[in-house]
Amino acid sequence: MDDHAVLLEEVTRTYGKGATEVAALRQVSVAFPRGSFTAVMGPSGSGKSTLLQCASGLDRPDSGAVRIAGQDITRLGEKELAVLRRDQVGIIFQAFNLVPSLTAWQNVILPSKLARRRPDPSRVRELLHRVGLAGRERHRPAQLSGGQQQRVAIARALLGRPEVLFADEPTGALDRSTGHEVLALLREAVDAFGQTVVMVTHDPQAAVQADSVLFLTDGQIVDVLDRPSADQIGMRLGGRR
Amino acid sequence: MTLVLAWNNVRANRMSFAASIAAVVLAVTLVGGSGLLVAGAGSRDELNGVMGLLVLSAAASGFVSVFVVASMLSLHVLRQRRTWALLRSVGMTPRQVSRLVTAEALVVAVLASAVGCVLAVPYAAAMAAFVRMTGLASASVPVEVTMGPFILALVVGLAVTLLAARLAARKAVGVGPLEVLRESAAQRRLLSWPRAVFGVVALAGGIVLLYLVPQVKAAAAVPTGLGATMALCVGASALGPVVLRGMGWLLGAAAARLDPGAGMLARSSLVAQPRRAMAAASPVMLTVALACTFLFAVATGDAAAGVTRTGPSAWAAPMLVGSAVAYTVISVLNTTAMTMAERTEEIRLLRTLGAKPRQLTRMVCWETLTVTCAGTLLGTGIAAASLTALGKAATGEPWFAYSLPQYAGLVLVCTVSGLAGGLAATRRARRGALLPD
Repeated sequence: MDDHAVLLEEVTRTYGKGATEVAALRQVSVAFPRGSFTAVMGPSGSGKSTLLQCASGLDRPDSGAVRIAGQDITRLGEKELAVLRRDQVGIIFQAFNLVPSLTAWQNVILPSKLARRRPDPSRVRELLHRVGLAGRERHRPAQLSGGQQQRVAIARALLGRPEVLFADEPTGALDRSTGHEVLALLREAVDAFGQTVVMVTHDPQAAVQADSVLFLTDGQIVDVLDRPSADQIGMRLGGRR
Repeated sequence: MTLVLAWNNVRANRMSFAASIAAVVLAVTLVGGSGLLVAGAGSRDELNGVMGLLVLSAAASGFVSVFVVASMLSLHVLRQRRTWALLRSVGMTPRQVSRLVTAEALVVAVLASAVGCVLAVPYAAAMAAFVRMTGLASASVPVEVTMGPFILALVVGLAVTLLAARLAARKAVGVGPLEVLRESAAQRRLLSWPRAVFGVVALAGGIVLLYLVPQVKAAAAVPTGLGATMALCVGASALGPVVLRGMGWLLGAAAARLDPGAGMLARSSLVAQPRRAMAAASPVMLTVALACTFLFAVATGDAAAGVTRTGPSAWAAPMLVGSAVAYTVISVLNTTAMTMAERTEEIRLLRTLGAKPRQLTRMVCWETLTVTCAGTLLGTGIAAASLTALGKAATGEPWFAYSLPQYAGLVLVCTVSGLAGGLAATRRARRGALLPD
């Protein structure tokens, strides 16, 4: 057992064929240590979302290996991938994270239900309380604000104690202060629960929360900064333009 | 501009558009064909005996056509609420959106009615051949192409299509653009006031007709009973969302017990969206109610008169109601496919959360089965009420004849076509690439 939650080895992903072929990822190798918070940055089209999709098993790379907890997930069938996503991976998108017909509580316990497990109600309550949604357990997504919906998604991801939590622009649809609360929750998950978090973002203010920041350009990792300040990130991004 | 938008809409909503066209084509075929048959039979004195049955089946066809086309078109328009809201938010006025909807419905109505009229002639000829073969009529029914039935079918097709689309558009457009985009699944109100009043009036009308069945002349009993069934169907489908929420909760609870993950998803979507569920349950209810009333009313009448039909003549009644039932069965498939197609986004989300392909299949099946079951129960109840009244008229006792195999076959056909529609519409979302590109 190695101490990496997620390991990408020479991952390549190409979209389209012939003249319209676009290499979204070119032989990317990167390791995400357990209990670390990593931000992935880069201009649009740099392949940062593809990186997240390949690492989380949503998409299959054309070549290379993706290991989650040591297991190469590129060889898994559709059913095994589903189980992997259910039990080992948590995913938070920019929006539309919740099943509209289910209440906040039901959304949080959905993965356990799919696994035919009985989640501990006191832990669900505690998690919802921790993300600031005590008293809103029976609300449907339409009755919650964007920030509240993201927090339900975080509670859902944390309930299963996944090996890794992926977030794709989790604050992209939120105003600054709400976005900051969501980021603080992700940070807390790392510090309090030892959760591994990988977050794609284009916002330097979001990326400062991370332990390290990866910079992607044209499908390749071009730089890594450890515990950078917002100014450093801004300069790094600005220098590229 | 409006035309370009309308065309792009059609392309983006191919399936829903095709379903609407199919519904109108079949409706016009059915109405036009039945009309031709009635007109043909009316021209011969020796066909007077069969006239009543022909008119009855034509009325059933007409009713079914209006019902299905109206519900299909409003489903089609409501499905595009997001598009309308988006257009509103970029500055289109409600009037312009309304015009867009009308333009689209007009294209559907004109195209489909034309095709339907062409198909009506061979349909009428086939039915005429059937009538002669089963020995229902002593002479063959002549099918002459006269203008009357076509005009009737065209007017019905155009009027119902446009009216349904405009009514649905008024609902969709009347809501502020942001409200639609935000609302997603939570429905604001279960029943609007006009809908509730309409439902209650239809229901009351049905009950009055039921009461009248044993009082009217013997010849008028069956038409009155059939009318009661139709009125009750209209009432039930208007008030359906309320009933269905309860039924969905109960039946869904059973599914959630048997299959925690998939069952819970099916139940919650039924409870949260009873109107969508009712749209899918309506054709099942209609099929069961209408077919049972028609078939078993004839059987009850025969039993009361001591008649046993064998050979081809036993097929006369099933055949006459057959095309209307075939039409509703197709619309079961259509509406289930349309309501399920709305769920693709949700299914993709469930996959990212780790729902296995089999679980998603089971979710779709549970939901379809619950809806079919609710529709069957409603339809059976309505048919039983009408048949009891008819039995009372024929024998003086609240009794009626029925055939379990025919009933089971009917329910089975509805269930199978519902499942086929639901599974086919969600196939790509369940099995295809997870990331839509």
